[in-house]
Formats: sequence, C-alpha cells, structure tokens
Amino acid sequence: MSLVLSNLTKRFDDFTAVDDINIEVPTGSMYGFLGGNGAGKTTTFRMLLGLLTPTAGNITYNDKKIDYSMTDKIGYLPEERGLHPKLQVDEQIQYLAKLKGMKKADIDKQLDFWLEEFEVPENKQKKIEKLSKGNQQKIQLIASIIHEPELIILDEPFSGLDPVNVEILKKAVKNLNESGATILFSTHRMDHVEELCEELCILNKGQQVVNGNIDDIKSDFGQKELVIEGRHDISFLKDFPGVLDFKQKRNKNVIKIAEEKYAEDIYNEIIRIGYFKRFQVMEPSLNDIFIAKVGRQYE
Amino acid sequence: MNKFKTTFWHTYLSKVKAKSFIITTIIVMLLIVLAGNFDKIMNLFDSSEAINTVEVEATEEFTEQFSAVLPEISEDISMTDSDGDIVLTVEDSVPITATVESEVEISSAQQTEIELALDSVNREMVVNSLDLTEEEAGLMAAEIDVDFQTAESMEEGDSGAAGEMDEPNYLNIVIFYVTVFVMFFVVINYASQIGTEIAMEKSSRVIEMIVSSVSPVNHLFAKILAIICVSLTQLFFFVATIIAVIYLVDIGAIISEFGLEANDRTLPMIIYSLVFLLLGLVLYLSVSALLGSFVSRMEDLQQALLPITLMSIGGMYLGMFNLFNPDNMLVIITSYFPFFTPFVMPLRVLDPDTSHLTVWIGMVIVIITVIIAVYFAARIYKGSILSTDKGIIKNIRKFNKGE
Repeated sequence: MSLVLSNLTKRFDDFTAVDDINIEVPTGSMYGFLGGNGAGKTTTFRMLLGLLTPTAGNITYNDKKIDYSMTDKIGYLPEERGLHPKLQVDEQIQYLAKLKGMKKADIDKQLDFWLEEFEVPENKQKKIEKLSKGNQQKIQLIASIIHEPELIILDEPFSGLDPVNVEILKKAVKNLNESGATILFSTHRMDHVEELCEELCILNKGQQVVNGNIDDIKSDFGQKELVIEGRHDISFLKDFPGVLDFKQKRNKNVIKIAEEKYAEDIYNEIIRIGYFKRFQVMEPSLNDIFIAKVGRQYE
Repeated sequence: MNKFKTTFWHTYLSKVKAKSFIITTIIVMLLIVLAGNFDKIMNLFDSSEAINTVEVEATEEFTEQFSAVLPEISEDISMTDSDGDIVLTVEDSVPITATVESEVEISSAQQTEIELALDSVNREMVVNSLDLTEEEAGLMAAEIDVDFQTAESMEEGDSGAAGEMDEPNYLNIVIFYVTVFVMFFVVINYASQIGTEIAMEKSSRVIEMIVSSVSPVNHLFAKILAIICVSLTQLFFFVATIIAVIYLVDIGAIISEFGLEANDRTLPMIIYSLVFLLLGLVLYLSVSALLGSFVSRMEDLQQALLPITLMSIGGMYLGMFNLFNPDNMLVIITSYFPFFTPFVMPLRVLDPDTSHLTVWIGMVIVIITVIIAVYFAARIYKGSILSTDKGIIKNIRKFNKGE
C-alpha cells in the first residue's frame, strides 16, 4: 500500500470539511476522488501535501509521513488554476520544474515532448497571460507531471476543458498511469471515474460514502438492474419479491432488484409468458450507488 | 538549499532583467554623472567670458596695494599696464569708489573676486588713514570669544568640548543627506516590489503549486533575500557611478566650492551610514513582505503597504528637518524607534557627543526588529498562503489561531 490516509479529519472552526476518512491507494493504481462541490476533495489533497495540518488522523506514503523531503516525487495540480501571468511558458516551466529538482536541459526536452503531446508546441515562447484558459491548464498540468513523479495528485484536472482537450488529457493521464505512476485525481464527473479508475472513494459533505475497487464496490453493492425487452406486459413484476423499482418505457422495462438471485426467479416467471428479445442483468451505475448510500440524487 | 537557490535566482534575475529596473538604474546613473559635471554644465549656460588681465587707473599707492592683494584672491586675473580685459578706475577717496569697464560680461565668480580684492585694499587704506598702530588694527580684526555657560554644560564641563557647538561639517551632512535619500528611494521602490511579488503569487494562485514543492518559509526568505539583493545591485551601480565620477571627472573644484572637507567623523559617518542603509533596507523589506502576505488581492496591496510609506516618509523628514540640529530631543527619542532608527541614527553620528555605544544600541534595536518581523512574516505567510480571505484583519485573526 503506497498511500494511506487513516482517520483523517479537518475542522475549520465549527465546520468539519473532512470527517474521518480512511483510504488506501495501492501503488500504480488510478484512484478517483468523487464528490460534489464542498465535498472535501481539495481539503483532503491539501492535507496530503502538507499544505494544511489535519485536525486529526495520519497520512503516510510508503510508511513515511509526507514532508518536503519527498515532494520531488510528487506532482500536484491544484484546483485553483494559476501561473505567473507575466512569464513565458518555458520560463514558468523551468522555474517550477527546477523546484522539483530537475536540470535545465532535461526540462527543455521534456517540455517539448509534452507540448507536442498536448498539441500546443507553438505556445512555448508565449506569455502565460496571452494563453486561453484551457491552454493555461495544459501548461499547469505539464508543470505538475514534467518531473515524472511517482505519485500524481490532480485536483479536477478536466474541469473547464472542451471535450477534445478532455480526451487529450485523459490519454496523457492514462499513459502516465501505465508507465507506473500512482495517480490520485478528483472530479465531480462520475463518468470520468468509471472510465479511468480502478479504485475510488466517494465523498459527501466531508464524509466517506464508499471506497475501494470499483468492481468490488459494484458487486458488493448487491443491487442490480434488470433490463427486459419484449412485447408482453410484465408490470405484475412490480410486486415481485426483491424488486425495488420498476420502470416501463414502451417495450423496455428496467427493474431494480435487491440481489442478483432474484433475477433467476424473474427469468423463470417471464419465460412462461412467451418470447423476450432481451433479458440482461446490469451492474449498478455509480450514480445508483451514490443515491442508495446518500439518499439523494448526486449533484 | 537548492530550492532556495532556484527561487532566489528566479526572483533576482527576473527583477534585474526587467525593463523598469534597467531604465531607472540608467536614469539615476545619468543624473549622478550630470551632477558630477555640474560646474561644466553651468559654464555652458554662462555667457560671460573669463577675464585674465586687469588694467588699473588709480593712484600709485592704491595700485601697489592692489597688486599685492590680487594674486592672493584670484588665480586667473593678473595686473597689466595697458590693453587689459577690464579697466578698473578708482577715485582717490576713503572708502574707495571704483568703476569697472569691460567689453564682455564678467562672471559672478570673478566679480566677487574683484570685490574681495577691493574690499581688502579698502580696509588697509582706512586703517592707514586713521593712523592706527598695527596692534590696534589687529584688535579690530580679532574674532570675539563667547562662552555660553548653561547649567547643563557646567555639569559635564570636564569633557572640554561641552558648551562649544562645533561648526557643522558639510561633507558629513552631504553623506547623511545622500544616504537618507537613497534609503527612502530604495525603500519606497522595493517595498512595493516585494509586496507586489508576494501578493501576485497569492492572487494568481501559482503559490499553491510552488508550496507543494518548497516550504513556504523557504520560499518567502528566498524572495526577501532576492529583492534585497536586487536593491543592492542597483545601489552598487549608483555607488560605482559616484566613484567613477569622482575619479574620472575632476570634482575637486565642486567639492571645494561647497566647502566640503573630511574630518575625523567622516569615516565613521560613511561606515555607519552604510550599515544603517543596509539595516533599513532589510527592516523595511521584511515588513513589506509581512504586510504583503496579509492581502490576497492586488487591489488591497497599496493599502496594506501604507504603514511602510508613512514610516519611511516620517523617518526621512525627521532626518532632513533636523540636519543642523542633531542633538535635538526629538532626534534622540526617535533614534531608538526601530522604524526611524535607520534614518535618524546616522544624523546623531554627525554630533560628536554621540557615543559609539548609542549607535550600536540603535543597530541592535533594528536587528531585533528585523528578526521579529521576519518571524511574523514567515508565520503569517504560511497561514495565509492558501486563504483567499479578503480582509487584512481576517488574515491576522487566522494567524492568531495558528492555522
């Protein structure tokens, strides 16, 4: 286990921003932090980096406390975007990368590589204030990954980008993960987490709703979705044991069931009626899990 | 340490390479060169021509005395029998009535020389006409001797010099004046620069990326030191220009014209002035960093730096207004107030009665204040770095809670 947060709590005056979080981020994994505005994602990241002192609890990375002796191995993209507006892109990257202990020549080579990767090589000599917001965000992402960190913490890396750029950045993040980096990123978009992450943690108002491997979470969650398509009316299933919810849309019926075992009973019941062209047991979506755990719609 | 160097050089180089730095430095250097060549520039605008010879039409007695006095007063003007640049006609009377005829305009300096020479001859002629003995004439010319004995000066009478006000040394005053002015200029300029630098990083939020790589205190100190070094670089250029002007341009004439001569307090004056200049810069820049770390938006910066502006103006005026009055009670009291010490203490060095111990106490006071300011700046900076609270007061409160 590379990164471990145990009983992490942060209070500001009477307000508890982060309430007793316990997570473990395995080495080499892609870990998603999911939560709406004010869920405590940024506060958790700031505590991770030592920018805020936790009110209670511990954070360790490879069994050691995180301090300034290991920041060269960590890359961080803050949620609050910002660079020195008056500097040129290469000057800014040189400075930030040197702070991570890199040499001038390496920085230059890596910068060219990443600018090419993000399809903005023409911006190298431009002043940062002249760049669009999305392009500034790319530069800032470059600054946080240029030193090939082992642990990358990205706070809302895809927010405010157009879909084309989101794809470019997602690809880069995936590549980094494949080449061995442990990546921890926060988002309020469930689809990004489902697409990218193996592990996740859902936060709601500072509290940890659920965490762990996505597949495990989904199978442990129990609830499944049953999709049945056919011409026959099966609305009698509403009152069938194990059925939590029943929705009908023309020929398509979506049934929420408490456990997978009820699917078999339903199957046996409907085949007696006649032919159905579709009978499928679906994994629950993160959205369903969120609603079930928190008791309200996500966001 | 490497990260300290990175931030230091980054800040230093970006400031030194900035156009504003280069332009102000060049302008001030040009002004220094201009000041060094002041006499030549004055001459350029002076349409009068130099007078070399004077033809005297007067009694023999006068001519004799005048020819004896003239060389003592003027180096350029000599007597001639005919065809002089100017003609001096003197009526034989006491006091003298003289007329000077000239084709060209006579410079004010040479007019004064001629007047002085005439005055001297006149005095001699008056003495002669009154039939005084040499002793009697000597008594008239003797300086009076006044001893002001006040209760205070009686008490410390054994120091000998007490009660006797020294003639102010103009060179030392000029040194003081220049130091205080330079300090004021640099403080005002660089206090706002360091404040801007810190507030800008906070308002542009780049600071969060920076402090995820380097500790805030390390970063802050690198910045303060870099800005101090930038100001010293600028000072170096100024001082180098002054020295170059002294050696390359013959400013001896100017110096003697203004009666600037070194005395035994000139060397301590120079040393102490430099020390207080340095201490003043460190103090004011540290406090500016402290104030800069209170604000989160550039708009609030000027307001936050107001105390610095007011104190440096106050310090400068305290120094300037009491130039000829360094033993004034106001000067003595304010010289121990840390923010005025760098401005006022060098003034007290002008006064021979000020002991070295007093000056050292002043230095210690400033150094202690610097340490306190830096300590608070570091703590507040660390606490307020990620806060976007708008008010200065809110940030101070936050600091008190140690967040």
